[in-house]
Amino acid sequence: MADRMRADARILPIFAAIVVIFGIVARGNANLMQAATFAAIDAVAAIGLSVLLGNVAQISLGQAGFFGIGAYTFGYLETAVTWPAGVALWLQFVLSTLAGTALAAVFGVLLGFIALRFRGHYLAMATLAFGLIVVDIAKVTPALGGAAGITNVPFPQFGSLTISGIAAYWYAWAMVAVAATLSFNLLRGRAGRAFEALRNDELAAEAIGVPTRRLKIAAFAYAGALAGFAGTFYGAFLGVVDPTAVNVGFSIDLLLMVVVGGAGGVAGAILGATIVGITNVYGHELENWRPVIYGVLVIVIAIAFPRGLIGLFVRPRRRDELTLAAAASSATAPPEPAQPVAASAREASGGDRSWLRIDAVDKRFGGLVAVDGVSFTLQNGTLTSLIGPNGAGKTTLFNTICGVSRPTHGRIEIAGRDVTGWQPHRIAALGVGRSFQNARLFGDMTVLENVLAGVYRTENATFASDLLALPRSRRSGRAALERASAALEALDLERIARVRARDLAFGDRRRVELARALAASPGLLLVDEPAAGLNASERARLRDDLQRLRAGGTTLLLVEHDMHLVMAISDRVMVLEFGKLIADGPAATVRDDPRVVAAYLGTA
Amino acid sequence: MSALLEIEHLDAGYGRLAVLHDVSLTVSAGELVAVLGPNGAGKSTLLRAVSRLEADRTGGSVRFDGRDLAHERPDRISRLGLAHVPEGRQLFTELSVEDNIRLGAFGRPRAEVDAALAQAYERFPQLERRRGSTAFALSGGEQQMLALARALAARPKLLMLDEPSTGLAPQIVRQIFDIIAALRDDGTAVLLVEQNAFLTLQRADRAYVLEHGTIALAGTAAELANDGRVREVYLGGSTET
Amino acid sequence: MLQLVVAGLTVGSGYALVALGIHIILRATRVVNFAQGEFVVLGGLFAYSVVAQLHASVWIGLVVATVAGFGLGLAYERFVLRAAARAGELSVTIVTVGTVYVLLYGHALVWGSLPEPLPYFSGVEGDASWHVFGVQIAAQQLWVLGLLALALAVLGFFFERTTYGKAIRAAANNPAGAQLVGIDVDRARSISVAIAIALAAFGGAIIGPITLVGGAAGIGIAIKGFVGGIVGGLDSPVGCTLGGLLVGVVEKLLEGRFGYGVSDPVVYGLLIAMLLVRPQGLLGTLRATRD
Repeated sequence: MADRMRADARILPIFAAIVVIFGIVARGNANLMQAATFAAIDAVAAIGLSVLLGNVAQISLGQAGFFGIGAYTFGYLETAVTWPAGVALWLQFVLSTLAGTALAAVFGVLLGFIALRFRGHYLAMATLAFGLIVVDIAKVTPALGGAAGITNVPFPQFGSLTISGIAAYWYAWAMVAVAATLSFNLLRGRAGRAFEALRNDELAAEAIGVPTRRLKIAAFAYAGALAGFAGTFYGAFLGVVDPTAVNVGFSIDLLLMVVVGGAGGVAGAILGATIVGITNVYGHELENWRPVIYGVLVIVIAIAFPRGLIGLFVRPRRRDELTLAAAASSATAPPEPAQPVAASAREASGGDRSWLRIDAVDKRFGGLVAVDGVSFTLQNGTLTSLIGPNGAGKTTLFNTICGVSRPTHGRIEIAGRDVTGWQPHRIAALGVGRSFQNARLFGDMTVLENVLAGVYRTENATFASDLLALPRSRRSGRAALERASAALEALDLERIARVRARDLAFGDRRRVELARALAASPGLLLVDEPAAGLNASERARLRDDLQRLRAGGTTLLLVEHDMHLVMAISDRVMVLEFGKLIADGPAATVRDDPRVVAAYLGTA
Repeated sequence: MSALLEIEHLDAGYGRLAVLHDVSLTVSAGELVAVLGPNGAGKSTLLRAVSRLEADRTGGSVRFDGRDLAHERPDRISRLGLAHVPEGRQLFTELSVEDNIRLGAFGRPRAEVDAALAQAYERFPQLERRRGSTAFALSGGEQQMLALARALAARPKLLMLDEPSTGLAPQIVRQIFDIIAALRDDGTAVLLVEQNAFLTLQRADRAYVLEHGTIALAGTAAELANDGRVREVYLGGSTET
Repeated sequence: MLQLVVAGLTVGSGYALVALGIHIILRATRVVNFAQGEFVVLGGLFAYSVVAQLHASVWIGLVVATVAGFGLGLAYERFVLRAAARAGELSVTIVTVGTVYVLLYGHALVWGSLPEPLPYFSGVEGDASWHVFGVQIAAQQLWVLGLLALALAVLGFFFERTTYGKAIRAAANNPAGAQLVGIDVDRARSISVAIAIALAAFGGAIIGPITLVGGAAGIGIAIKGFVGGIVGGLDSPVGCTLGGLLVGVVEKLLEGRFGYGVSDPVVYGLLIAMLLVRPQGLLGTLRATRD
């Protein structure tokens, strides 16, 4: 992610300069100017799709539908509606634009809800269907002009200035600048980190408190809004809004632009829109070949250059710079000592209420009983290990506690609240951290970015404040950075802070995941097989880390197979066999319990 | 006489994760060799490194029937006479019991396939009764038997089994173990990975105990059954720091 | 009305073949091939070329188209689908969309944009027809339905009764298990896709005489075949077949009643309704939509 943002930050000013130079140099050539204006319109819509596809990994073949909603709404309001007398033309224009954008956003939310149910190709189909329906509704609705569409849409009028021709070019590209800035802000802030987490690993994102469903809907709404916005000034500048402009072909063109230019971030979308725009103008001789070439281009680029042409300008490095808005301040703010993480854990320990209490929990899969009537209450500030032979139900039990799966019967209470059936991110929001059996890191993000993402649920930046880069977002980002730095230091990870998670050595992955879970100062930490795959010295270090966490006040529940580790650090050991709790007590007692021995070594 | 399966100084893992270090073991014809150890010790990885299914070998050698398996593709290895029943069994859940068994002998002449099917039904009468059901509908024990029957359909010289007792009721586990021992008696070499040490050592000829990716103990089954160190490996010793 | 039903079944056969092809590829690669309908169009055009350029009988055209489809399918799987799969699941979806563009506009470059006629299978000028139960049935319609049944029978036999057909299903069901018993999973996948594309080409050639080949007809077949698959259930072969036929019948009935132009929005509406209410289709399983 950092490299894409870096590419954007470097390339966008260059684009801006090109736009300005072109606008001056080419102003005599009306055709060129018009083509460039429409390329700008496409670029705005493409930016939305780029964020959706590249940053959130959701495909949409229906963006033309939003474009159409924006265009038709605008066209209708500007031609068929009689405005109250006092409203100036420019105000009408602004309101119509806002209305078109807003309506597109609303439909984006709707499509987002639908999108939650599908993945991959089914999602593509659902969005395709959406686009088709919009076109058909436009064709058959008389108020919208039917097949001929809405005509005579006036140019925007600001006092005596009519925005057409050359002025349209500047206006359109100014709007691209607006869309680019807003998107860039969004991606750099809390929401952008949440998107990236979601894209890399949805399950781990939920575990750190990212409301994945809400975020996907937001992404669709954003992409829809941008497409709708683009549609409004399409109507204004072309003067006509008809069904052919908003058909499936346009949706696919947008996809093409984003794939060719490079999905994710802003620069790729602009590049793609410009390339397609230019070939549309100069490709007249290639008229019949153009779509075929596009198709081949999409195929070749999707296979050979999955990052798009923008990827040629970006060389992902092993070490990446920070992308936080508060990056500058990190140099000045001294790293906090490890205390705050532990201290707030103690504070967060919920007082008298136990952090975790489960009551007669069952989990069945069809006829198979994975967890059978398990009850226990954890004592705050202790380290409890859950052990048992393979298939005993330990990870299943963990999953029900974290909300990944719903228990068939029984009740789960966290910090006194009944969380049975809650979604994982809500449980995380109560102050629960989790690490997974195979260290689910966000592969494309650096170690620091991973840990920074872990702070998500404690940040108070909102979507809107991110978008507009308000002080609230900047403050939230700085605070997040401090927490993340503290967590990194607590686990001795500063020297690899800028390594991409995908490139980490295995022993480090575990610790990074732990740091990510710790960054938000959880009161309850669930750790799934942390010792798996570690060598002797790594295990010794893990032991120290876990003991230190407990000393700091965090309540820990471990699933583990490494008996030496378990016996050495656990205050209490619970043994699961065939889903039932067969032993529960201090480590030494449990180890010698004949039932436990039998469970592990077998009986006659 | 050299062993049927010779593993020497094997290092293996998955991508960046190194699991096995310097593991050496042998299995000879007619032997039932057990590999024991706690979870995470690398037992499954060992079998996968041999059958080349999803595990990477980074050092050492594996020879089967005198032949180096280093460059063989996984789908070629079964034709060499090496059958692997992995954890999860990997049955063809949408196909019938009979089809699963027949496919076990994929690539063989029709007569051989028919003979293999007949023999499977002889060994596992329960499966004959359920011959038309899809594999998905079988009980846990029946699925394990089907996995065994499928692996045996190709008349392997060596059968590798990964924790066949997982998720099965004790009675069924005993039944499966009896079948495995009988296979050894009939001449099939067996490499059995298990967590259930007691039951396994009762029937095995020799055993190895894996811990943290290396061989901690090795010997005849009788020796290990009486060795207190086995229990320590599983449950942690009393003198650990 | 029965007349319309027969017409619907005929055009529905084309849709059924599209849907069935999508099903086969979905099973084998876990990918929905959006370009399936375009291969149908391509098949029809191939047959046309064989007939027009080589002055061969339309039967030869049918066979050549089907065989060419098989070869094309092998190449498609190897160089397009498999290559894209390395770049991720989204990339495969994107690549099938790109293929749509290439084929949809590409065929116009080679064959021109006007639809072309394929001779009737009965080999007569115009077509023979009979009156049965007050319904006029053209010989070609019988050919289409008959050949559809034949194709279904052959495929059914292959996948249900032959060892290799079952091996292909096994490879799709559980690739790890398949490798363990010695099945070459990559080849199984290739052949599945090749069969699906051959089926598409076959379909294009048999409905060609009725619907004409090429031109704008292609898009309609592609989308409606798709909808047929969704309606019936993409992961059920029977569902796909019935869904395709159903969409064909619905289309013709609507056309008969309300004239052209209404059937398209209704069919798209059917798509949305299915996706909202029952995304797995009539006979499919929910698991497939979330995979």
